Amino acid sequence: MSRGLFEPRKIGQMAPASKVALYAILLAWSLFVIFPIYWLLITSVKTPAAVNEGPFFLPWVDFQPSLHAWRDLFVLDFADTVRAYVNSIVIALSSTALSVLVGSMAAYSLSRIAFAPNLITILYFLVLLIGACVAIGVFGADLWLTLAVAVALFFLLARAVGQLYTVRLQNGDILFWIISQRILAPIVVVVPIYIMFQSVRLLDTHVALILTYAVVNMPIVVWLMYDFFNSIPRDLEESAQLDGATMIMTFREIVLPLSRAGLSATTLLVMIFAWNEYLFALFLSTSRAQTLPILVAAMNAGERGILWWTMSVAIIIMIIPVVVLAIVLQKYISKGLLVGAVKG
Amino acid sequence: MDQWLDRHMGRLFLAPAVVLILVFSIFPLIASLILAFSRVRFTGGGFRMRFAGWRNFDKQIFGSEQFHLLGTFGPLSLLGWIVGLAATAALIYWIVRYCRSHFTVVGFVGRMITFAMALGLAWLFAATLLSGRPFGTVGTTLFYVIVGCGVQFLIGTALAFACSQHIAGSRTFRVIFFVPMMITPIGVGYIFRMMADTTKGPFAGVWQWVGLGDWSWATDPWAARIFIVVADSWQWIPFVFIMMLAAFESVPRDLNEAAEIDGAGKWMTFREIIWPQVLPIAATVMLIRVIEAFKIVDLPNIMTSGGPGIATESVSLQAYYAWRSLDLGSASAIAYILLFITVVICVSFFNLVVLARVRAKP
Amino acid sequence: MNAPSSVMTAAAKGISVRQMNKYYGAFHALKDLSLDVDPGEFLVLLGPSGCGKSTALRMIAGLESITSGTLTIGDRDVTEVLPKYRDIAMVFQSYALYPHKTVGENIGFPLKVAKTPKAEMEAAIRAAAEQVELQDLLERLPGQLSGGQRQRVALARAIVRRPSVFLMDEPLSNLDAKLRGNMRAELKHMQNTLGITTVYVTHDQIEAMTLAHRVAIMKDGELQQLGTPKEVYSNPSNLFVAGFMGSPPMNFVEGALKDGVFTGPGISLPAPGQADCPSVTVGFRPEDCTVVAAGEGQLDALVYTLEMTGDQSLVTFRAGDTPLVVKMPKDFEVAVDSAAGISFDPGAACYFDVSTGRRLRTAG
Repeated sequence: MSRGLFEPRKIGQMAPASKVALYAILLAWSLFVIFPIYWLLITSVKTPAAVNEGPFFLPWVDFQPSLHAWRDLFVLDFADTVRAYVNSIVIALSSTALSVLVGSMAAYSLSRIAFAPNLITILYFLVLLIGACVAIGVFGADLWLTLAVAVALFFLLARAVGQLYTVRLQNGDILFWIISQRILAPIVVVVPIYIMFQSVRLLDTHVALILTYAVVNMPIVVWLMYDFFNSIPRDLEESAQLDGATMIMTFREIVLPLSRAGLSATTLLVMIFAWNEYLFALFLSTSRAQTLPILVAAMNAGERGILWWTMSVAIIIMIIPVVVLAIVLQKYISKGLLVGAVKG
Repeated sequence: MDQWLDRHMGRLFLAPAVVLILVFSIFPLIASLILAFSRVRFTGGGFRMRFAGWRNFDKQIFGSEQFHLLGTFGPLSLLGWIVGLAATAALIYWIVRYCRSHFTVVGFVGRMITFAMALGLAWLFAATLLSGRPFGTVGTTLFYVIVGCGVQFLIGTALAFACSQHIAGSRTFRVIFFVPMMITPIGVGYIFRMMADTTKGPFAGVWQWVGLGDWSWATDPWAARIFIVVADSWQWIPFVFIMMLAAFESVPRDLNEAAEIDGAGKWMTFREIIWPQVLPIAATVMLIRVIEAFKIVDLPNIMTSGGPGIATESVSLQAYYAWRSLDLGSASAIAYILLFITVVICVSFFNLVVLARVRAKP
Repeated sequence: MNAPSSVMTAAAKGISVRQMNKYYGAFHALKDLSLDVDPGEFLVLLGPSGCGKSTALRMIAGLESITSGTLTIGDRDVTEVLPKYRDIAMVFQSYALYPHKTVGENIGFPLKVAKTPKAEMEAAIRAAAEQVELQDLLERLPGQLSGGQRQRVALARAIVRRPSVFLMDEPLSNLDAKLRGNMRAELKHMQNTLGITTVYVTHDQIEAMTLAHRVAIMKDGELQQLGTPKEVYSNPSNLFVAGFMGSPPMNFVEGALKDGVFTGPGISLPAPGQADCPSVTVGFRPEDCTVVAAGEGQLDALVYTLEMTGDQSLVTFRAGDTPLVVKMPKDFEVAVDSAAGISFDPGAACYFDVSTGRRLRTAG
């Protein structure tokens, strides 16, 4: 310490007492965050006896760790575990890929092209849609016939209706419409989705969950990527356009490589949401397409009460892929998601 | 062909998203509305729907399920009257003040909807909780939203501000604080059930010492609700933390230093310089959290199955239970009530708080 | 350097703009622009920021739609044609280099889009790089280059495809002053050797004067004057052009014309052949004047400051509220706050109508 005791502090420096208090708070919170995870880890290597006979804290000191629970899950219930794992991976990866692709395409076109749909035409479309639903659902009209009539009516009269009165929407309205889908609680739409998939016999398949997750997460993708695309200078794309590139080529060659940071962060976030999703999976999958959250939640129902040791193992294997992904994408996350999201 | 593709590529880029949302979001939304007004009966192969009018809503709001959704009503206590009347007066004052300042029809209608919702919720609060009677799933959900989001916001912002000070090791803290976000909500539910176990959990000793060894938090309504909020906060504080951290770090450092040179103290600098700059982001973060919090279903289902009784049941969970007992009409009606409350509260918040801040900025 | 070069391959095409308009909502950004660019010509669009020159360029490129009017490149009407079918190359102010592609890939991108065979593409990239002396940097990323080098990459990318038209949007404005001078010379040399029709946008009149075959001066979306640099400098058609061209700008004194004589505060000039007009501005260039003893020139005023710029001295006077500047040789000395006279050839003065800004020409 070359600085004298009574010398004034430099700008931006803290008093020693507040520094100590700050560290105390941060350490206390770290403890609060880490302890449950620590408990999860040690419970996974406890024997049933070590769990039931009261709290033991330190492996090798308090109790003898064993891989008993791991063996249970991976040897005895191997088929179930692996199936749920594979299902989860397939569904999370495909739905993320789908929603990032479709969502970022939409975000890109919204950030670059001025749309001006007519509100009246949209209302007309909605009225037809509601009418068709009522006709089919309440009055038992034939599904395909009603749909055909509705579609025909729409295309025949859309232009005429649109000319009656014109209220132009803008890109901001479309963007808001897409993002506001996130307000919908899954419970509001899940019953019709259930009936929909049931009627095309896709219940309990990967396709049902992939499509549903993709749509549920799309608002996040559109929102984050819209901000991100807006931060890419347009000169680059205009230059590519002049050089003869098509929109697809510009998107693939120029825009996507430049949005790597934003895409990685968005992908991670959407992947976590898809990986952890519970309510839709509860409705739309029963056995064949069962995902990890359902498998874990179902462990509640054993007749011997909850087997905490097996449960801990299941939770740990569920967390591992997310952690791995987060580490891989880590360098993009800090600059991608947060900057983009916070600006919006 | 090539030219045509080039010209319409923008629409083709947007179309898949719009179609997907129409099919999996707008259509189900409408279908759900129709279901909410129908009686659904399952027959051999499929099901039959019959128009039922307002009966599903009637049952939930005024009928046999009233205690479940809204709570048990009875004569109001003195405290209930006082709070209810005070809230009514405050709301009327707010509306009158608005009408006197800058009246527009759209603004007035919007505020009247907000007004009606706030009034209804205030009297609900006065009639159930303040009069000593149990409240229903709407009250429970609001408890999760208001208390949960409030706690998450306060702690998350405080931690973010602490981490934004340049101190040694702040990177490590950031990584640690981020971890709970990666843990699946189901996992969080179970981990906290383990933690809260009064006989086998890590704090068994503490429970015994205070003489609550045989007590179970799952049998006490308030303890159960608070425990769910603690678990929810543990999971979501990282989200608030990381967003607010980015916000704090985006405040130019020289502003800070200029304020300090001007002789402003820490608190003064925070209130006058930093807070106004992060406020828009804070409002947005809050909005996102509130939207997600209204959907809460997994934690109550895992941790308490909605019990004891209906004490921890959220509206989503109630709708799920209704669906499980094959009452599709009620499930849809409950879901729509939730949607209505969510939309009114979120849109009010967005218009009156977020947009007001944005507009106030020059 | 007018000898046609062997490098020249692309047939240069002319551009013809007819009555072109641009509206952004109610805002009229470009008003009835009509001009012709000859094949191989270097045309500069010059004007202050917000005058619509960039809009005009982007409309020629196809990046902005044309609200009304027609645009022809060569003999083809391209008013409604997408940019990529217009056979043009553009250099942006920001250079618009793709940061994730190497210099070579950047230069080769137009060829890659056109699906040129690999060997041919490499040869073309090499040739273009050599033309701008970048052959040693082909593997670098744009982020590792200096400003001048980035500028060259952008140029190389524009010439590699041999377009029929070059469009340049303030390409030199991000360079420092010294580099800008060098690049200016190179640009002019290159355009000369390649003989490609070029439309160049700038707000810097020195660039315009040195580079252009013809200059089009714009203001508030309207074309003010189109002519060779010499014409617009010495024969401005209105007050705006006169005041915009030249550094320091033209000196203006307000007064009235009567019976072939201009009279203003403390000044009287013979103006033979000028019609009578009650409110007139007379303009004269700083380099056409000399400082003389008080009473000996056309005008007397107080010396306000004396600035040395190295190769010359600028003497600023104050006559009432209007500053008047005189360019003198570098070793000229005069005492500040002393009274002195300004002398110039009355024949070199220009007269403008104050109300319309239009130049008043001598009758006949």
